[in-house]
Amino acid sequence: MLRYLLGRLWQSLILLVLVSMIGFAVLNLAPGGPLSQYALTPGMTQETLDRIAEQMGLNRPLPIQYLDWLWHLLQGDWGRSYRDSQPVLGIITGHLFATLLLMGSSTVLSIAVGTWVGIKGATKRYSIFDYSATVGAMVALSIPTFWFGLVAIYVFSLELKWLPAGNMYTIGNGSISDYAIHLIMPTVVLALVNVAVWSRYMRTATLDVINQDFVRTAKAKGLSERRVLMKHVIGNALLPMITLAGLQLPTILGGALVTETVFTWPGMGRLFLDSLGYNDYPVVMGLLMFSAILVLFGSLIADLLVAFVDPRIRLS
Amino acid sequence: MSAIVSVPGSGKSHWWQSRTFRRFARHRLAMIGLIMITVLTLACVIGPYLLPFDELYIDLRARFAPPLTGYHIFGTDPLGRDLAARLFMAGRISLLVGFFAMLLSTIIGTVIGVCAGYYGGRIGAALMRFVDAFLSFPSIFLLLALAAFIKPSPFMITVIIAVTSWMEIARIVEAEVRSLRERDFVLAARMLGLSNSWIMFRELLPNAIGPIIVAATLTVARAILLEAYVSFLGYGIQPPLPSWGNMLNGAQQYLDRAPWLAIVPGVAITLAVTSFNFIGDGLRDALDARSDLN
Amino acid sequence: MSDETKHAILNPTRRRALTMMALAGASGLIMPGLLGRDRAFAATPPAKPTGQMIVGFSQEPTVFNPHLLHIEVDEGIHFSVFDPLFAIDPDGKFIPALAVEVPSVENGGISADGLSWKVKLRDDVKWHDGTPFTAEDVKFTLELMVDPDFRSWRKTGHELVRELTVVSPTEITWKMDKPFAPYPSILASTFIVPKHVLGAEKDKNTAPFNNAPIGTGPFKWVERVAGDHITLEANADYFGDGPYLERIIYKYIPDLTVLYTQFKTGDIDVAGLQWITPDHYEEAKVLEGKTVIVVPGSTVESVTFNMERPQFKDLAVRQALYHALDKATIIEALYYGLPTPTESYMPQQSFYANPDLPKHEYDPEKAKKVLDDAGWVPGEDGIRAKDGIKLSFSNSTTAGNHIREQVQQFMQQSFKDIGVEMTISNLPPAVMWGEYWTSSQFDSVVVGLDFLTGADPDTSDYFKSTSIVAKGGSGQNTWQYVNPEVDKLLTEGGQIFVPEERKKIYLKIQEIMRTDLPFLPIFQYATVRGYKKGAEGIAYNVNVRIDSWNPGSWYWSS
Repeated sequence: MLRYLLGRLWQSLILLVLVSMIGFAVLNLAPGGPLSQYALTPGMTQETLDRIAEQMGLNRPLPIQYLDWLWHLLQGDWGRSYRDSQPVLGIITGHLFATLLLMGSSTVLSIAVGTWVGIKGATKRYSIFDYSATVGAMVALSIPTFWFGLVAIYVFSLELKWLPAGNMYTIGNGSISDYAIHLIMPTVVLALVNVAVWSRYMRTATLDVINQDFVRTAKAKGLSERRVLMKHVIGNALLPMITLAGLQLPTILGGALVTETVFTWPGMGRLFLDSLGYNDYPVVMGLLMFSAILVLFGSLIADLLVAFVDPRIRLS
Repeated sequence: MSAIVSVPGSGKSHWWQSRTFRRFARHRLAMIGLIMITVLTLACVIGPYLLPFDELYIDLRARFAPPLTGYHIFGTDPLGRDLAARLFMAGRISLLVGFFAMLLSTIIGTVIGVCAGYYGGRIGAALMRFVDAFLSFPSIFLLLALAAFIKPSPFMITVIIAVTSWMEIARIVEAEVRSLRERDFVLAARMLGLSNSWIMFRELLPNAIGPIIVAATLTVARAILLEAYVSFLGYGIQPPLPSWGNMLNGAQQYLDRAPWLAIVPGVAITLAVTSFNFIGDGLRDALDARSDLN
Repeated sequence: MSDETKHAILNPTRRRALTMMALAGASGLIMPGLLGRDRAFAATPPAKPTGQMIVGFSQEPTVFNPHLLHIEVDEGIHFSVFDPLFAIDPDGKFIPALAVEVPSVENGGISADGLSWKVKLRDDVKWHDGTPFTAEDVKFTLELMVDPDFRSWRKTGHELVRELTVVSPTEITWKMDKPFAPYPSILASTFIVPKHVLGAEKDKNTAPFNNAPIGTGPFKWVERVAGDHITLEANADYFGDGPYLERIIYKYIPDLTVLYTQFKTGDIDVAGLQWITPDHYEEAKVLEGKTVIVVPGSTVESVTFNMERPQFKDLAVRQALYHALDKATIIEALYYGLPTPTESYMPQQSFYANPDLPKHEYDPEKAKKVLDDAGWVPGEDGIRAKDGIKLSFSNSTTAGNHIREQVQQFMQQSFKDIGVEMTISNLPPAVMWGEYWTSSQFDSVVVGLDFLTGADPDTSDYFKSTSIVAKGGSGQNTWQYVNPEVDKLLTEGGQIFVPEERKKIYLKIQEIMRTDLPFLPIFQYATVRGYKKGAEGIAYNVNVRIDSWNPGSWYWSS
């Protein structure tokens, strides 16, 4: 077990280095540079920009810059933002809550709805419900998240005026109900795709269990279908669900980025776009690394949980 | 998570194909998808010739005309250009980007997958770590980081999308090839002294064609979506060249006064992506021998 | 546009003429607080700070040390927390702040040759932490600007300063290497920072001060919630008039549509930087309980050419393109009639603006004729050419600037009609304004530029032949414009301290630029600003880059 864990960690570490190299190369090999946004400032001179570039160490050879960055990262120093010279890690964790809130609420929603739709579809296989759920899921997977967001804003904010068009809370309010009302639209929009994914998996998982002997036996023993399902199906389907949750992390994170843009949600996705726009490379790099760590960690946890829940699976 | 049944051997058994074909033809959703995408493609190819408007012609007196104003069936945009004409021209771009991104990513994914699967060991492990590295980025982050610093042209966007979409196929191919590597026919080929590349691409690869086709179909859907995401965020294909994504780019700003600017291209994207997803689903079922049991 | 408010505040040509004299002549002794007050209402500010105002910005202020590289929105915070020695008011007049009076030749603050400076300081100013402000702080600030270890965003002018001497806590003197007329304008935007806080820091680039600034200004730093807002509170010990608000909150709203919505619903009191989008103006101006006005800015939108490209070396081409540019339609249709057409790079409100430049005529036929006469004849594809050079070029701007992209597409069509091919090649901001722009790698660009430093008319950075980076110079002459006469005039203008004399030179320069057309001036920006009725003291100032330049004077009427 310990060996497995160490192996996985070692693998993850190599992955992270690869990720960081790709990210760093992408950012730094491109023309322009972090200071170009200041070129239009009245009174700005190329001389000033060159001098500041030198002071910031931006004119060193790229491999040196990379190693320097990596060295600091290994010591827990994620660097400082070019914009406000705050530590990158602090900036990211500062935006983490908003993103986790959105991802969390949408994951809960999508699991709840997806599980229900999936199980119902499986138990009533080939019914109209099942068929429309299948088609619906596939259509949901095909709708661009941001477009769904735009349509939702158009209908519920601009036309019906039921819900706010953006932001996480009203300035000066910030009560729980205020957060909740701002959370509704982005949560639903982000959940859309995931409901589709969950319901498909739940349907398959349930079908697998339903066809197994012990469930048939249980039913034959006169237990109500409902109880059998609750006990066995959910119990057995839990495993793939956990794995799926781990695998879904990058998708949800990516979806959150787009959703945050549409709803001006002050989370990591918004931060990423802002930082890209301002050429704040340390923060962009930080976010790339952070999301990669999150994803790797997520899948590791998922694997460990599966092993924990199901002792039959031996990690090796 | 449908298991893929592959047939070892030459892979040129025609009965297999025809049964697959029949299964596919019976798949209602796949047929609907096929019809939708055919209609959409035809509209994009022929449409511009049928409309009395040039998709680039600016008429500032006709800005923001709502749908069904005169001959503007979908209305006009903020520069008074006909939205239908733009939609069809945009469709050409978006569909082509989707198609070529699929082609490119399939090639990348297949080559890497075959190599990793065939050689296995260190090389295979290294290649697969590389695949994992790409997979552990949320691809939209990587895509944006790339697009933000590269001059966006349809060609570059295609390449960028391909570069962030090949991993799925690489995994599928690798798994397939790895499972077949030690089979008799491969050993036989080796003993005959056939070159590695011959074995990889002539003997092993044909067995993975089925799953590759399924994955490739779904990649088209994904690529169209990705183009839309990137262009919507302003880093994709640049105007005046229309694409479905960049038509949506300015739409949020005009949501209250000209909602059709957002609705029309959005529906087109959804239709196209849904079609490919339906077809992909149909292909998967058709290639899955188990589905005959159901 | 005959907006009364606008003219009341911003048509100061005559007054500015007088005030520019303040440098050479009589200096005003006006307190900063007296100035911004709304002149139309007789409302009086409260006796003690009352209430709060929320200002919405569409960009996030992140740099609070005013001397680090920053963007305009950051200055919103700088003006609230810090003071310069003297500031510049909407009329272009310098008004004393930390200095007792604005130094001038008349009052002996500046020697007649412009080389010796003496500034007398107030003795009643305290930093937000209670430490008294002295001449040492001024010395420290001016030295910091040229400190080689500090990432100072501007050395221009400060580099010429020598022999900084603290005569007494309230007096400082220095010498200049050479007379430099724009220096007062630079000083007016040089905020004084505390020596006792920053002086001891080893690395001033990352000092805690930069994220919790301590100043002398009307408001004190409270907190920043990154990605959301910044809170400042009243400085009860402020030496000037005000502040009249208990708190001022700068709220970051990343989307202009949302910014407008929140202004409409009253979530924010003042629609700040990037303001209300032109397409909302019609709706906004009739909003209940809001004051919405159109305010000119000093930024000028132009199509700039790379003069080293063979197509653009021919003046006839530049003239023809100007004739083919339908400025009126661009302004009316795409910018909702808000900006003012212009023929010069100089804001029309400036004392130095030349009102007699030839007016632009939109006339495609004339454009064609100019090109025909110059020997540019259409080829088989309808595109003109001469001596093997095709009249075809690319045009770039920041990708994602919607209205500008619309302008480009409109221009593309207009130019096509006269046989000129313009392709659009927009780039992401990082690439666009990097070397592509600074080292003149473009064919042509649509860009909005603010050519002036404060209210000073010196544009050496933009027009001198020594300011071309692509040719080894230093500056922003990215269009690679070379004209020895302009070089000479600019050098002369930079050494004259009497506004009336300087004016002649700059009128001439504008005339030459209008003739040579290295860039086609389209319009001077005007933006839609708005605030809640009852908010008083908000005054728009074309000489600064931000609305909240005088927050100390803001208050709620009753």
